[in-house]
Amino acid sequence: MADPSVVFRADELTKTFGTLRAVDRLSLSIATGEIYGLVGPSGAGKTTLIRMLSGLATPNAGTATLLGAPMPAGRRTVEHRFGYMPQERAVYRDLSVAENLLFFGRLYAMSRARIRERTRELLELMQLEGHGQQRADRLSGGEKQRLSLACTLLHEPDALLLDEPTIGLDPSLRREFWNHFHELNGRGRTILLSTHYLQEAEWCGRVGLIQRGRLIAEGTPDALRRQVAQQSDREHPDMEEVFLILTGAAVAGGAS
Amino acid sequence: MKAYRILAVAERVLRQLWHDRRVLAFMLVLPAVAMLLFGYSFSGDITDIRVAFVDEDDTDLTASILESLQADDAFDVTVLDSVDDPERLLLDSGYQAVIRIPDKFTSLYYAHFAMGVATSAQGTIDLTLDESDPQIASTIKMGLADALMDLGEGGPVEIDTRELYGVEVRFIDSFAPAIMGLVVALISTVLTLLSIVREKVDGTFSRVWVSPVRRAEFILGYVIAFGLVALVQSLVVLTVGMSVFHILINGSIAWAFVCVILFAVGSVGLGTLLSALAQTESQAIVFFPLVILPSVLLSGMMWPIQAIPRVLRPLSYLVPLTYSNRLLRAVMVKGLAPWQEPVGFAGVLVFVLLTILLASVVLRQSAGERE
Repeated sequence: MADPSVVFRADELTKTFGTLRAVDRLSLSIATGEIYGLVGPSGAGKTTLIRMLSGLATPNAGTATLLGAPMPAGRRTVEHRFGYMPQERAVYRDLSVAENLLFFGRLYAMSRARIRERTRELLELMQLEGHGQQRADRLSGGEKQRLSLACTLLHEPDALLLDEPTIGLDPSLRREFWNHFHELNGRGRTILLSTHYLQEAEWCGRVGLIQRGRLIAEGTPDALRRQVAQQSDREHPDMEEVFLILTGAAVAGGAS
Repeated sequence: MKAYRILAVAERVLRQLWHDRRVLAFMLVLPAVAMLLFGYSFSGDITDIRVAFVDEDDTDLTASILESLQADDAFDVTVLDSVDDPERLLLDSGYQAVIRIPDKFTSLYYAHFAMGVATSAQGTIDLTLDESDPQIASTIKMGLADALMDLGEGGPVEIDTRELYGVEVRFIDSFAPAIMGLVVALISTVLTLLSIVREKVDGTFSRVWVSPVRRAEFILGYVIAFGLVALVQSLVVLTVGMSVFHILINGSIAWAFVCVILFAVGSVGLGTLLSALAQTESQAIVFFPLVILPSVLLSGMMWPIQAIPRVLRPLSYLVPLTYSNRLLRAVMVKGLAPWQEPVGFAGVLVFVLLTILLASVVLRQSAGERE
């Protein structure tokens, strides 16, 4: 836990809603500079895990650690250093693009001049130039999503928690988002994201497969493929097959 | 607690209001419309009640009764020489009252005083009255009693009236403070409620809570924004009230603004509290009548609390506007300082403290555990 290179860490993390165990004794550890993808069917517990790591939800048992701080108790010490992108396109519909960024920038103690500078950079990066004065509810879905990511990146956080950042995007836009992610990663940012596009798992440094609140497999995309190749008769399984066989195995394993 | 974060929230709320032109118009037009609408329809002064006056005695004394009635705006008096059947007249001609002064009324009236109470017959006035509208009926009775009182010298009783709090306070004068409170409470509660529910629906709430902003800062931001809105709305109400209805303001307008803003703060707290009970905007709308109806009906705004059935009166004291009305009326109409109306002042203060404290507890919950 004292290892300074660990950015996100879950130890036996558990969260229940009534009788449902959304996250069930889940442990993982993500080091500085990784892109880690959480993959799993909807309802598997990805969002709940991310919310606990961001300090928004309190675990029933186990610990969540972000940049060395226990969450949610220690969140005040790290709140400036991480960025969170909720699954909803979390922007103010009735504010302009620039005003959305202005508000979040001010919450992070950025000066107005610095916010203007960053707004220019981010709008260019997100290909939203010329949309600065446009109200967010007049943006297309993809544009809104890019604004949402811009709000997350605004204060230049070291650690990024992105909950389904590419959901609903068309394939070319998804590619662009991933280019951003790799670029950010190249600049030393650590990224934990969730996705249910299996193709995207290929683009992660490491993948964690989540099912019913538990981490059922973990490793680089290649390692997961090798594991499946050994278990089954497939020689070159794609990510979809990896997912189906591993989750199927988990179901079968659970039943036996 | 950092001022820049409080101001960031306040600025954001104001920008949102500014961008939504319909809401903006609603906020500014509502106080004016409410003042005009309530002002005209509840000006309280009933006028043009059709009354037939039949004077069979025809003396100076009866003439002066007629004069008093005619001077009263409430009545549209028609003088008739005689009447056979007052009831028929009332039914056929659409009068709401027939006042008949019989022959010998004047002599009996004076004789009664001259001879002493027990010995002589009194002068009598026949009043035939349409009781179907109690308000009109009581206005007629009051008007007639006033006319008789005006007989003055030698009259049976003289009432020595000292009018406290201004020359003559009309209904509308004490209505304006209530409108101010109502409009401010309504807008602050409803818009805070909608705004926070919207944050939950859109997910911006999550973004806000992972940021460095504290709950208290968040609430204070809303308080500042809606405090300013309340100030502007009060100005609109006062401007319309003074220019259209020439309302009377005995007290200090500055104190009135302080009290209105205080009330707005409590209303922001109430809106925040209610937001915890709604997950969607349509659920939030359910609360609107819950806020509006008790305020209008039970706060003593339209009729005094004494006019509310005794069983319901305790409810009146649960309605925040009841205290705001007392406080603002004391400040504006009576010209008192807020603490000179301790019940109203304390009521508003308790409302503010209670809602703001509970609101921050509630925010912690809706911020943390969702899904």
